[in-house]
Amino acid sequence: MYHGSALAHIVCRFLVLGLVMGPLSAHAQEAFLDVGLLVFDPGIPTDKAARSRLGIFPEIRKSEAKYMPVVLRDVLMQREGWGAVRVLPELMDSSELLVTGKILQSDGQQLSLQILAQDAAGVIWLDAVYEGSATPADYSGSPRSDPFIKVYENIASDLLQARERLGAARTSTIREIALLRYASALAPEVFDEYLALGESGDYTLQRLPARGDPMLERIVRLREQEYRFIDTVDEQYVNFSDAIAPAYLLWRQYSAEQAVFVDDFENRVLVRESRGRPGSFAALEQTYNTYRLSRIHAQDLDELALGFNNEVLPTSLDISGTVYKLSGTLEDQYGEWRDILRQIFALETGLTPSL
Amino acid sequence: MNNMRSFFFIVWFLSFCLAACSDAPRQQKGLQAKSDNAADFSGHWELDYGQSDNTQERVNVLVRELRQQAERRSQSGQGPAGGLVINANGYNNGESVSGLVRLTDMIARTALLEIDQSADFIRVRREEDSDLTCEFYDDSLRQLETPFGSELCGWRDHQLVFRLVLPGGLAIQHVMTTGASRSRLQLTTTVKTDQVSMPFTINRVYNRFLPGERDFRCEMTLTRGRVCTTGPR
Repeated sequence: MYHGSALAHIVCRFLVLGLVMGPLSAHAQEAFLDVGLLVFDPGIPTDKAARSRLGIFPEIRKSEAKYMPVVLRDVLMQREGWGAVRVLPELMDSSELLVTGKILQSDGQQLSLQILAQDAAGVIWLDAVYEGSATPADYSGSPRSDPFIKVYENIASDLLQARERLGAARTSTIREIALLRYASALAPEVFDEYLALGESGDYTLQRLPARGDPMLERIVRLREQEYRFIDTVDEQYVNFSDAIAPAYLLWRQYSAEQAVFVDDFENRVLVRESRGRPGSFAALEQTYNTYRLSRIHAQDLDELALGFNNEVLPTSLDISGTVYKLSGTLEDQYGEWRDILRQIFALETGLTPSL
Repeated sequence: MNNMRSFFFIVWFLSFCLAACSDAPRQQKGLQAKSDNAADFSGHWELDYGQSDNTQERVNVLVRELRQQAERRSQSGQGPAGGLVINANGYNNGESVSGLVRLTDMIARTALLEIDQSADFIRVRREEDSDLTCEFYDDSLRQLETPFGSELCGWRDHQLVFRLVLPGGLAIQHVMTTGASRSRLQLTTTVKTDQVSMPFTINRVYNRFLPGERDFRCEMTLTRGRVCTTGPR
């Protein structure tokens, strides 16, 4: 919960700010779409036995789920054709273009991401699996270079291609629908009538609010405030990403080297001859040491994962504590922030905010 | 003789396969994922040489039993007369018995154990050897299969049992036991090969110890390697 004084302070800020944004038509005419990148689904099986069998280290996956959207964000921002690109802690389905991802595999050798991109009108732009592979040699570049950068570049290229197929009018419509969906979430009794929801989950514009509609102007201001919060959150994700990058790159490098070693080791063992007669100490020792070494290498990976956790966990906790002075995790804080915005809207309009 | 060897190997193999290769993961050859009497082995343990088996004495027992076994077979007309059986394939011969004893001694040489234990996971860190690990997620026994062998572990009442089946007819079993006071731990290591008709067992006794407060405390990190600090835990 937040304190009443905090809410009053924020309300005052709004009253002082006054009208900041122009009408809907002016807003919608901007050529670029904003992109929301939801923190990825880490793809951690709930079944602990499956995690163990698949060699998934949960804490590393959770870090990757925050790290990878930041890499994709950087790649998208290097390309022209996009408005603001933000990493979102929670689903914001009124995003002009929302990109969600699930980590299917990430072990230093292989990266496999399930990516879904959907615009505010409900049209799916991308729903595909992007894969890449790396060898230990690919890790010899600068500490900031990602061996799987091609995966992110492919996603960015496909998004851009889909974007280029849109005309200016469609782009404008998507922006209008995004704003009206945001408005409808806050005040459905006022804004629901502007949009029609099809059976397949697609939204179409029924009509537009009047030019200079004061209610919509409030909505625009609220959304801008939410974007400011998200920008602060996004900054935290970038800081987190920068902080863990050296350890994460090392983890993936070691992980890839381990996998290569195990492959080589298996091949060598399969073709080598026994050191002694069956039953002799030399033969038995060879068999036992082969197993022992294979286990030690597998257990080294566990040790490295622990090393990653020891190094990254304090940073992980840190990002949850530095954004504002609200309690709970970053995701909780975002939820609380949205509640505050809804209450401000209710205070201003006298309407009951929808949940 | 080859028939006899095959017979014993098949008996041994079946006994291990029944334990390790069954499709029933919750209970395999008396091993269970849960036990009401499961002991708590967690902590640091150091070898008590005085309380542990003397390897030479165990070897003497093994050789005596092998001789008795050979004599019984000889008397029943199942094998040649006299002492240990020595044949061209090395079954029960001196080299095979020596190999079995030396390997068991090597596996059981660990002087220090560090054990982490939770409800669903146990890790036994052994000095100069790979860790023994046990997972009991979803109340099931987990059998680890690798190209180099398979590993199964579980509870047998208050005892924790690890079974390894390795290529070339080699099987290893570790049984961990501790008393109610948890001051001592017994680790019984049994090794069986298809070249010797009897397994060889060594018991090691460990005493619990508390790492001193002024000891180094080390933490693994990726970018700085192992970082050690001193001071209270």
